[in-house]
Amino acid sequence: MIDRSTAPLPEKLTIFNLPEIKELELANGIKLFFVRKEKLPIVFTQVLLSAGSKFDPGMKKGVGYLTSLLIDEGAGEYDSLALNGEFEKLGSVSSVKSNHDSLSMTLLSMKENFDRSLELLSKIILSPWFDEKDFAREKKKVIDRILQLKDEPSFIASSAFDKQIFCDTFYSSPEIGYENSVRDISNGDIKNFYKNNITSTNAKLIVVGNLTENEVIDRFNKYLGEWKFSTRSNMVFEMPKRNSTKIYFVHKENSAQSEIRVGHISKKRNAEDYIPTRIMNTILGGQFSSRINLNLREQKGFTYGAGSSFQYYKEVGFFEVSTAVNIENTGAAIIEIIKELTGIRKNILPEEIDLAKSYLIKQFPSRFETYSQVAKNIEQLLVYDLSTGELKDYIQKIEAATQNEICSSALENIFPDELVVVAVGDRTKISGQLKSLNGKDAVELDLSGNILD
Amino acid sequence: MTKNLLKIDYEKYSLANGLQVILYPDQSFPLVAVNIWYRVGSANEKPGKTGFAHLFEHMMFQGSQNIPKEGHFRYIQEAGGNLNGSTSIDRTNYYETVPANYFELPLWLESDRMGFMLGGLTQEKLDNQKDVVMNERRQTYENQPYGLAWEKLFSNLFSPDHPYSWPTIGWMEDIAKFELDDVKNFFRTYYSPNNASLVVGGNFEVSRMKDKIEKYFGGISRSNSVPDLVAPGQNIFETKKIIMEDNVQLPRIYLAWHTEKAFSQNDAAIDILSDILTSGKNSRLQKLLVFEKQIVQDISSFQYSAKLAGSFIIVSTAKPGVEPETIKNEIENEIKKLIAGGITEDEMIRAKNSLKSSYIYSLQKLDLIVDHLNHYNFFLNEPDSFVFDLLRYENVTREQVIEAAKKYLLNAHVELNVIPKNSARQKK
Repeated sequence: MIDRSTAPLPEKLTIFNLPEIKELELANGIKLFFVRKEKLPIVFTQVLLSAGSKFDPGMKKGVGYLTSLLIDEGAGEYDSLALNGEFEKLGSVSSVKSNHDSLSMTLLSMKENFDRSLELLSKIILSPWFDEKDFAREKKKVIDRILQLKDEPSFIASSAFDKQIFCDTFYSSPEIGYENSVRDISNGDIKNFYKNNITSTNAKLIVVGNLTENEVIDRFNKYLGEWKFSTRSNMVFEMPKRNSTKIYFVHKENSAQSEIRVGHISKKRNAEDYIPTRIMNTILGGQFSSRINLNLREQKGFTYGAGSSFQYYKEVGFFEVSTAVNIENTGAAIIEIIKELTGIRKNILPEEIDLAKSYLIKQFPSRFETYSQVAKNIEQLLVYDLSTGELKDYIQKIEAATQNEICSSALENIFPDELVVVAVGDRTKISGQLKSLNGKDAVELDLSGNILD
Repeated sequence: MTKNLLKIDYEKYSLANGLQVILYPDQSFPLVAVNIWYRVGSANEKPGKTGFAHLFEHMMFQGSQNIPKEGHFRYIQEAGGNLNGSTSIDRTNYYETVPANYFELPLWLESDRMGFMLGGLTQEKLDNQKDVVMNERRQTYENQPYGLAWEKLFSNLFSPDHPYSWPTIGWMEDIAKFELDDVKNFFRTYYSPNNASLVVGGNFEVSRMKDKIEKYFGGISRSNSVPDLVAPGQNIFETKKIIMEDNVQLPRIYLAWHTEKAFSQNDAAIDILSDILTSGKNSRLQKLLVFEKQIVQDISSFQYSAKLAGSFIIVSTAKPGVEPETIKNEIENEIKKLIAGGITEDEMIRAKNSLKSSYIYSLQKLDLIVDHLNHYNFFLNEPDSFVFDLLRYENVTREQVIEAAKKYLLNAHVELNVIPKNSARQKK
């Protein structure tokens, strides 16, 4: 019989070499970040544009998002269907996504079809049609999607939370926009957004694939050499303030659960204490065996899962606890969450720190397994203006973080008295529970997160 | 070239206790992935006891003889790995991916629960996980728009005695009733080495891996033979139309036909049929209904083929003001048109090329590869079936796709309309 009572020890560490990121430049000055990865004959390309929804003009929320849907609806000599058919024939997967800060085009192709696939992608970038018919169809689709989102408790909870923590700044409204704002968008707005934002000045390129440096530069010079420059005035972001804790709810009739969000604004990604904060959050709610999940799920059975995270936009960060609980435990779950936020500020055990550090350090190589994962790491550097040293020094910085720094990061980044608390659930079942939390009636919000009178 | 890439170098053997082992060494990245399939799923349950295979999967993470509650998560987290499990109608799987130097850890964890799970069992753990799973059911199905449509659809497509007629998560009233004895009996019946297959892939030395697998799993005793699953014969089936109200803004229509089980004669042809009908903007139904007529918000379809049976499903969300009936008529017309008018070579090329490259793209991730090896082993008894599988699709002809459509999509079916609450009453 073998001794099963203790865990087997690890063997000698298998060497992992961080992929080398080459910073190249096209003839017209566009920066290109290249990683040669040879395992498979495939190429992953990302065109990262500083052209997210925060550049939506004035009250026309949703222009950037709608542009991301329309830009590949016909380009060059191909109409919408023909263009899509060309990619399918190559077995290439092209997609366009947008968020608050960026608009991203990605392309996954076989090496043998890379040249032609990139040629097609360049048509999308340089000569999109923005045809009236496509515009009308996609706009209607967005308006109907906004209608559908009224059914989704997790979307309602997150957008109500965003609205309250970001106040009137451009991160407060959903990228997709609102029904009224989208109705006001014209095809001219889309063309203007394209002209002002989808320019080489705002673009950075990421390529991960089985190619040589020269092959990459040649192809991109060939297809994107003519891409126009532009000037654009800078966006002004006024950091919103945290206020004393306030409890909100959105009524959802007969809901089987409450969707809960708890949190507040926090520091930017490039803050000094990013690493200790990350370690601290791993302990608090960033893992299955974190305090919040073990409490709410494994001890209380309130939920299928609960967690916390620090998330970052370019101009600001925010801290968010997110869970869905059975409706009877809405109040009790919020009490437990706040208890954990208070608790992490008081005490963090050395063995918790060891576990979190061990996870973050040893998990690091697996962040570079697939082609798109490698690109994702580079994207993060570019979005937050970080150097490649951020990846090279990552493990060392985690190792170096002291217990003192990690405990301080809780004090300086988690504010249990300055929370926005949002619950989405049936009013008749949750309002009493919410009132018992602080003796006040919770503030009711509509489905878009606005305060109801 | 594609076929060379898809040729997987592996070794398959069995331990004396019947555990199937499949090793796939691949030194390209410093990870090791462990993936176990137990040949038991929700289809092995009985009416009144539904959802148990899945609840049991949760209990497997509650510790065993030598592993404390949450121990699996804690150990794997400390190693910088990730882990999970999943339950389907046919099988339950458990998997870990860890840095290569930790390869022994998942073997220890998995073998302790395969052999000695009952040693860690308590009433408190069971009560806790029943609460968790009931909340999983609420979160994933009951509190989601259209979330209860699938169980409604399948409980009408299959007769009540067919094991595919109930949802894998189980009925709420069944989940609430489970007791410790259910856990013990289920473990003894299904969780034995002779009812499982273990795949290990990644950066390791084969002979050492074999020694360690023997060390941890070799001493676990086999169980009596595992009861076979028998599907009841197909009853006479008539077209049914079901209308269900839900908290939704837009109506959605579901159409479901009986087809064939996984890897049977027409399985691949029906997959291609599905692509031609709804995959991508150029597919027939997307082009007609989303692009041209603009009467649906979305439309999709798939061949859902499993061990005992298969079904073909089309799902479409209506635009505001459009009746499900209108969409159904359009779909039926298009199917008839496809059967009568044939399929173009262009349509076949688009479908096949997308499939072919998706096989290559899937080789990027070790945990996907090892799960595939288990999948092929489960259905075909041959883990290295990537090339065989791709050829199944490459060899499908236009005529076969049309034959498959003719054979199945003109038959009796289930139609489910999910409509906004109160809308039926308002109309009257």
